[in-house]
Amino acid sequence: MGGQGEKPALLVGGRRVDGRGVEDVRPLKIVARVLNDAEGSAYVEWGKNKVLAGVYGPRECIPRHDQSLYRAVVKCRYNMAPFSGAEEHGRSGPNRRSKEISKVIKEAFENVIISENFPKTEISIFVEVLQSDGGTRCAAVTAAAVALADAGIPMKDLIGAVAVCKIDGQMAVDPGKEEDNFGESDMPIAFSPRTGDVLLFQMDGLLTREELARGLELARKASMKIREAQMEAIRKVYDEPKEDRFLLIG
Amino acid sequence: MESMNEIKRDTLGALISQGKRGDGRGMLDYRKINVQGGILQNPEGSAIVSIGKSQVMAGIKFDIAKPFPDRPKEGVLSTSADLLPLASHLFETGPPSDEAIELARVVDRGIRSANIIDLSSFYIDDEKVLAVYIDLFILDHDGNLIDTAALAAMGALLSARMPKVEEGKIIRGEFTGKVPIKEKVVTCTFGKLGDKAFLDPSLDEEKGMDCRLTLATTPGHLCAAQKGGWGAVSEKDLMELFDISLEKGKELRALLND
Amino acid sequence: MERESRIVMPGEQVSDKPERIGYAFVDKGRTYSTVVGLYSEGKLVPLEGPYEPLPDDMIVGIVSEVRFSGYSVDTNSAYAAFLSSREIRERYEMGDMIFARIQKTDETRSIELGEAKKLPEGRLVRVSAVKIPRIIGKKNSMVDMIRANTGCEVIAGRNGYVWITGKGDSNLAEKAIRMIEAQAHTHGLTDRVAAYLKSQKKA
Repeated sequence: MGGQGEKPALLVGGRRVDGRGVEDVRPLKIVARVLNDAEGSAYVEWGKNKVLAGVYGPRECIPRHDQSLYRAVVKCRYNMAPFSGAEEHGRSGPNRRSKEISKVIKEAFENVIISENFPKTEISIFVEVLQSDGGTRCAAVTAAAVALADAGIPMKDLIGAVAVCKIDGQMAVDPGKEEDNFGESDMPIAFSPRTGDVLLFQMDGLLTREELARGLELARKASMKIREAQMEAIRKVYDEPKEDRFLLIG
Repeated sequence: MESMNEIKRDTLGALISQGKRGDGRGMLDYRKINVQGGILQNPEGSAIVSIGKSQVMAGIKFDIAKPFPDRPKEGVLSTSADLLPLASHLFETGPPSDEAIELARVVDRGIRSANIIDLSSFYIDDEKVLAVYIDLFILDHDGNLIDTAALAAMGALLSARMPKVEEGKIIRGEFTGKVPIKEKVVTCTFGKLGDKAFLDPSLDEEKGMDCRLTLATTPGHLCAAQKGGWGAVSEKDLMELFDISLEKGKELRALLND
Repeated sequence: MERESRIVMPGEQVSDKPERIGYAFVDKGRTYSTVVGLYSEGKLVPLEGPYEPLPDDMIVGIVSEVRFSGYSVDTNSAYAAFLSSREIRERYEMGDMIFARIQKTDETRSIELGEAKKLPEGRLVRVSAVKIPRIIGKKNSMVDMIRANTGCEVIAGRNGYVWITGKGDSNLAEKAIRMIEAQAHTHGLTDRVAAYLKSQKKA
């Protein structure tokens, strides 16, 4: 939680810095099918986060030594645009943080993608963070799931992710940038809503047993709202069919 | 894939020689263009542009940097392009391709040589200037990425705000007004197949054409150019396409808000 | 598709009993969808999805390599297809478009082709493979209608490659195909496509 500068009060009278209560998720907007060449795509605005996901595959797995004779190999690249942050200009390309995030996202999807149907192939998930505001990996999972469904990749569930944090000693869902920087703990979680299984789980900071349980409860409640938004985005593709695909921001 | 190029060239050639295009456009028509500026809050400037099914996002970011030794009193301008792997099944992950580098450099040259940004106003102190980074994010590739990216860069610059600088540091989130932009630079890219030239080549046309010519203009001047591909252009072509670029440039500028 | 059906999502329950339904799976005695699809009465039709080659599928392919004993063919799938010289009388060159039948696929998903025919000059449109039945229409009704209104022959491969050929308005034919692709799941599509083609023909 390496925040810079003076730590502000994060919770005053049950209200958070942006006015939310501890169980409130920031405004979430999802649009499916925004790209033309990608086989599936989705755009997520979540708070000030703006995240774009595109999916290709199953396609020939290259290099061949990555291939499996039994299933499709799932690949994921999570990347932050050099202009995505509020601070200095970032570096282009992957770094240690983005590689780790790519790995845990990939592993979450390996649980639900029915990869046995497509031996020797790869399914590629690409996520670009266009603007970051805390919680980009959860927005990335949420967008990628919609993009995979849009591509028609068979999956056992439509998964979503949300983080919980500890601010001024209390658990709260969906931390924003400031809560991310100054909070006492951060715990991103992806659920499979159908089974309740936890498919992505990371944590830093200090939590008691009770706080962990409370965090899981908050995340589980929020993940139902996320699933609703995902399904609505997919349904909209068919309720309002379009031949033109554009990314409309805001 | 290699074998596609020959098919495309034959079919394209048959159409183009009759002055027709696969999607029914005229030879000097752009596809539908959309421009949205100021779409992001974190960077100082931003825009997203689509031409047909090509989509490019541009972000403008300011930082404090050291000036180049040969221009100690001037700010730094840096342009780069990422052909994102989600944009096309033809793009791969990894370091910038030759195509991405060429794309960024052509866009950069137009902006730089027309002097539309006063880099001397970016001087702060000895060894300290403002650097402006233009990042071009290619989101969807259906041909003519140069014009799409150039329009996105221009849209982002026109939306850009000057960051507040105090004691040699940028105060993030505070601004002193818009970044002064003297003129709008736009590019017109033509494809050539045989002796026929056509504006705004689609990806299908790019696969089949002999060469490409990009002309960047201000109102009245040519400010950057690039020929790409193995085919040739004549002097007559250059003069004609220059005139067309000045005319078409007006259409493009009208799409960009001040 | 014309009957009462609902859009289901991956992971959504379609039956509280274990049932054998294509594009669905059974977990703890219940049946769930694996795709975004239209579900009605024990049948699940995916709305999107990759091409999964099956024997007897008629596909449009591109000859991608000429080999000693036959041809490698790009079929818009992740798997290699092979057409043996013994199966055909013609000779092909790299880049030729062919219409062929899938004879066999094996457990590594290699595809063997036969009954191939070279296609005349034209243009290729790539669509989602699950939309092909709609583009063909009941008893070829859609492709017949496009031919009648545009003068173009439309050869729709099960694999999602659609070849438009002939001297007619291939641009209009492609637009009609794109319209069907975007609206494949809707009712009354044939009438709308007919109206669209008529309006464009006049203009």
